[in-house]
Amino acid sequence: MNQFLSALALAALGFCQAHAEEASIPAPPAPGPATGLADSAALRATVFGTPPQDIAPLPAKVPLLEMDLDLPWRRPIPAVFWFDKRLRVWLSAQDKPAPLAIVISGTGSDGNTAKLATLRAVLYGAGYHVLTMPSPTFPGFIVSTSSTGVAGDMRQDGQDLYAAMGVIIAHLPHKVKITDLDVLGYSLGGANAAIVKSIDAKEHKLNIHRVVMINPPVSLFATVGRLDKLFARTLGNGDAGIERFYQQLYAELANLYRASDRVELDEDFLLGAAASALNTDAQFSAAIALTFRIALMNVFFAGDLYSGAGVVVDPRHPPGVGDPLDEISRTLRTKTFAEYFSRILAPYYLKHRPGSSVESLIADNRLDVIGEQLRGNGDYYAQTNSDDLILDKAELGWLRSTLGQRIVVYDHGGHLGNLGDRQQVADMLDMLAGRWQGGAP
Amino acid sequence: MMRRRIEWGQLAAAAAALIALGGCASRTVEFHRLPPETPAADNVADIAKMQRLAAAAAQVQKEAAQPPEQAAAAEAPPPVTPAEAPPMKTYDPWGRLNRFTYRFNARFDEALFLPVANGYRWLPSPMRAGVHNFFGNIAEIDSVINYTLQGRLGRMVRSLGRFVINSTIGIGGLFDPATKMRLPKAPTGFGTTLAKYGMHPGPYLVIPFYGPSTLREGIGLAADYGTLYVIDPAWIYRGDQSWGLGVLNAVDQRATTDFRYYASGSPFEYETIQFLYVRKELIEDAGLHRQKRLPRADPNVPAGE
Repeated sequence: MNQFLSALALAALGFCQAHAEEASIPAPPAPGPATGLADSAALRATVFGTPPQDIAPLPAKVPLLEMDLDLPWRRPIPAVFWFDKRLRVWLSAQDKPAPLAIVISGTGSDGNTAKLATLRAVLYGAGYHVLTMPSPTFPGFIVSTSSTGVAGDMRQDGQDLYAAMGVIIAHLPHKVKITDLDVLGYSLGGANAAIVKSIDAKEHKLNIHRVVMINPPVSLFATVGRLDKLFARTLGNGDAGIERFYQQLYAELANLYRASDRVELDEDFLLGAAASALNTDAQFSAAIALTFRIALMNVFFAGDLYSGAGVVVDPRHPPGVGDPLDEISRTLRTKTFAEYFSRILAPYYLKHRPGSSVESLIADNRLDVIGEQLRGNGDYYAQTNSDDLILDKAELGWLRSTLGQRIVVYDHGGHLGNLGDRQQVADMLDMLAGRWQGGAP
Repeated sequence: MMRRRIEWGQLAAAAAALIALGGCASRTVEFHRLPPETPAADNVADIAKMQRLAAAAAQVQKEAAQPPEQAAAAEAPPPVTPAEAPPMKTYDPWGRLNRFTYRFNARFDEALFLPVANGYRWLPSPMRAGVHNFFGNIAEIDSVINYTLQGRLGRMVRSLGRFVINSTIGIGGLFDPATKMRLPKAPTGFGTTLAKYGMHPGPYLVIPFYGPSTLREGIGLAADYGTLYVIDPAWIYRGDQSWGLGVLNAVDQRATTDFRYYASGSPFEYETIQFLYVRKELIEDAGLHRQKRLPRADPNVPAGE
């Protein structure tokens, strides 16, 4: 069913063709690509991910243990979030003493995504205990683990992650013997991993050894600003664009289905339809923009509810279990990252973080707040792609100059479109084991 | 003897419901051991699937391109236009009850149904495949009846052929040689028969223990069950062992459905599932009425209108 939903989402994303053309994407500022963010190959890699035949060798069997944790600092659970009481993480433990690799998920995602499953498999195959955990922007994390309920501030999210890791490690099954501790993360999770290690450098509670950031952002707000722009260009602003997009998708799917000879609208039909319908850069861009927008809806809703900002939820009358959320989700569909920052995150942190300003909040969410450590400490590593759409040239340049030999930049892959491929995995394992000699010049 | 068994079954169901409603006990950490993952084999399957999908995509394109060329083109309906898409808001007059039922189902699933299904998944896969095939084969009887009611005789013959082949060569339905003989599974039911005769899906309906549905599909499910109960193939619906078999059927269904309640973590999960489920049903309806113009695909029209 999950696959069914993601297939449907993928199909949904594919059918914006006509719409995107209607919306007349402005002529690319030469020589830039159509969406102004990345070229066709990067967009395709980002949407489809690593082709299965390019995935690194995988072990035959990986044991899996789900851990549900009730954290001592958990805040009261709002009625609409009754199911998010516990932090859920996944452990694959070796039978013998081994280093533990903790992997943090990307924006809005839980601790058991397909990308995490791939990383879990290769790390387990390489002899690590592997623990995968959700992003601090996953609603289940916000409710069960966040000390604020307002996700997206890297410093605060890092502290919450760090505290949670402490509890998780203390409650691992007794037979799990840990010899060393490394932390990895992809996308936003990569930045989270680096921040967590910088916190550990002060607090020394966990003794985190190495960190590998996979396709991390450098400046969180610059990145989300780009994603807002991408959404506006491919789907337009406001609800009318989304409605029109939906109608086109519906008609297209209905026609494809009628023309086919199927008895059921199943996963294969949808995947086939998506594969035949995703064509233009604009479609791929819309797919990416929509994925992030869906993640933002949850973060926005939770932040609004917890901070009492009252943007979409009346703080005096929060919705209960049986209350419809149609209207709220309709409103949330049109909310941008910029609006989340200006109406939820900034007001909350300006109030709760003495001496802060809007500028300081933006600066706090740049990786250069830990620039000194990244430069001076040999245990930070990064892997990214020269065509990753969440970085611009200056940001990539900063990563290169800061990490020096400890970053590898592949030519292609877009955002995470080569995660799990042979080269990425081999390099990642070298970095984690301290064998990394630096990439090709 | 039979009477006593039913009482036990009812007791078990009541206990399950209580556990589900009561939620979980509170401890700092709870462990759930899951069946191991099989990444290497999954990757091989993914590669095969990609090839299949590439073929399917080509097929979809071909099918979509074909109709105008055919002789039947004159009768072919005009394509569905975006303006004919149903509103994004779904007809859900029983929303409040549905939301509570959804939560009940999620709790029941977490506390009992899913753990049992996960336990079942430790059994060797050929054994589970046999169970799955067996129940699928029984359901062919219902498909034969409903394809007849729908007047789709080609498909009726296909289901009948599958039933005969799988019941004999397939040793009572434990194997599925029919699929290998290029007679792939194409189940249908009374809900589809109602749709064929123009009944709208009606209000969205979350059925306790079962999950998302609509009024029409709910009626269909009851009728499908009733049909098999009356026919009682192999005495499995009314025999002494019927409770056990019913549970096995349910567990097989659950173990083969890749869905986890609230894996999304999202408070909008109910809305998302409702939206997708009803759109899926409406598009399938559009497929049933290939020869005619679409009935007004409007979920805001109550069933039967």
